[in-house]
Amino acid sequence: MIALDGVAARRAPLALASVSLTWGPGIHALLGGPSDGGSLILALVAGAARPRSGRVRVLDGEPTDLDVRGRVALVPLQPALPEAMTVTEVLALAAAIRGEPQKDAAERLGTLGVEALARRAVGTLSPGEGRAVAIAEAVTSSRVRVLLIEEPLVALDPRAVTRLPEVLRARSQEGWAVAIATASVRDAGEIADDHVLLKAGAIVGRATSLDALAGFAPQGAFLRILVSDPGALAAALAREPGVEAVARRATAVVTRGRDAVELARAAGRAILATGVNVTELRLQSPSLEEARAAAAGVAAATYETALERTRASVRSDRDASEEPQL
Amino acid sequence: MIATLARAPMARLLRDPRARLAMVGWSAVAVAFAIASRWRGSSHAADHALLDAYGPLVLPLLAYAIAGGVVGARSLSRSGAPLVAFGASPTRAAAVAVLVAVVACTVGGACLAAAVDILAHGSADPPLGRDAMASAYAGGLGGAAYGAWFMLGASFGKQGGGRLALLVADWMLGAGDGAAALLTPRGHLRNLFGGPPPVDLPERASAAALVAFAIACALLAARRAR
Repeated sequence: MIALDGVAARRAPLALASVSLTWGPGIHALLGGPSDGGSLILALVAGAARPRSGRVRVLDGEPTDLDVRGRVALVPLQPALPEAMTVTEVLALAAAIRGEPQKDAAERLGTLGVEALARRAVGTLSPGEGRAVAIAEAVTSSRVRVLLIEEPLVALDPRAVTRLPEVLRARSQEGWAVAIATASVRDAGEIADDHVLLKAGAIVGRATSLDALAGFAPQGAFLRILVSDPGALAAALAREPGVEAVARRATAVVTRGRDAVELARAAGRAILATGVNVTELRLQSPSLEEARAAAAGVAAATYETALERTRASVRSDRDASEEPQL
Repeated sequence: MIATLARAPMARLLRDPRARLAMVGWSAVAVAFAIASRWRGSSHAADHALLDAYGPLVLPLLAYAIAGGVVGARSLSRSGAPLVAFGASPTRAAAVAVLVAVVACTVGGACLAAAVDILAHGSADPPLGRDAMASAYAGGLGGAAYGAWFMLGASFGKQGGGRLALLVADWMLGAGDGAAALLTPRGHLRNLFGGPPPVDLPERASAAALVAFAIACALLAARRAR
């Protein structure tokens, strides 16, 4: 549905250098800070920015094709809405431009729980409400197939924040490609199916799960356990092999280990041994820098593995050739 | 599609209190000049009102206010951003905004020119009906040219600051009757209202020049929004 092939682009102060991506249906995260180029990639896909070199294809067409434009929705951090209109008029206008049947505005807004905004004038909306209206328009469109959102859970009406991840998941299951650009590892981990890690306009890593990356982070994986008796569990965890550190909080225990799976097993054993009640057990998302370092670690590990296999293969070939011919 | 895309700029123009205030204000100034001109008892009061106040002052500022209302005190491309976000082509969104401004300026310019003519009509002015029609014709042409002129200006600068630059250029270059006045709507409009023509240009040529101004500026403005 979305393909970027060797795309270089510039929008001061951002610059992208030879980015290649292919995205099908699903929720995809561009993970990076504001200056890392995530929003520029979204703008390129939406046809709001043009590549200097390389090629962008969306829904089997160019992003600037009129037919493609109507099926792509971009919601930036500060979406532009026609300010002299009411929210109902805006939704009717959007439907007319996209060429889709008109639907009840309150019903559309109700998808994100903001139906109360239907009669408000756009000029009276707070930034979070404006974003909720823009996202509601996009997710309830019958034509949109590619949805691009910058920081989906930031500066958004609180009523919409709780519903948006579920709505995005539903749309992705209907075959939409949803791409989000965010600096929040937690948001990306909560919403997206796969992650592209960006730094200074270049892709530095890819991961299907940020939890899997956690084990490659320089400090290892962190497990946070909300528990009835943190003291008992902390003591039990400290005796477990594979646990490198344990910290006790008021109602939780945070533990660190090199391997995420081994850490989870250790936690399981400690919980059974102490008999404490567990409210939540969660592998903590790495920070953005840790995720980048982890992605680099995965790449290095992959390279090391490949190198070792190649060496082994060369050794085995050499041994075979040195065997005396009978 | 034109009607759909016109909804947003029309709403901005008609509902924005600042735009409405500016339009009503400049219309009131035109009416006041017309009444004052008539009270002075001049036999060519309509000509004086149109030539001294309406043409050089009110119509440019009215068109400036209309263009500002249509783009919402932003650049032309930014004003079309909401429509582009819903899938409209940036060029079409800009072209329709220019069209709204040009039509509003044409209608406003023509009606107000006719009103000024009627209110200020003096004893030595041509017959009222014919004179009002001629004023409306000149006011409409001038309005169209100014509307497109200022929309072209709005395509420059993040806040559409090019509008102000073109207003100043029109005042400075169009004031005289030399060759520089050929490059501005002001010189040609003055010619149509019976003032000194730029480089002795006939009225028909000035009318054609205003039409050319409107078309060229509108096309250029829409093209710049790509």
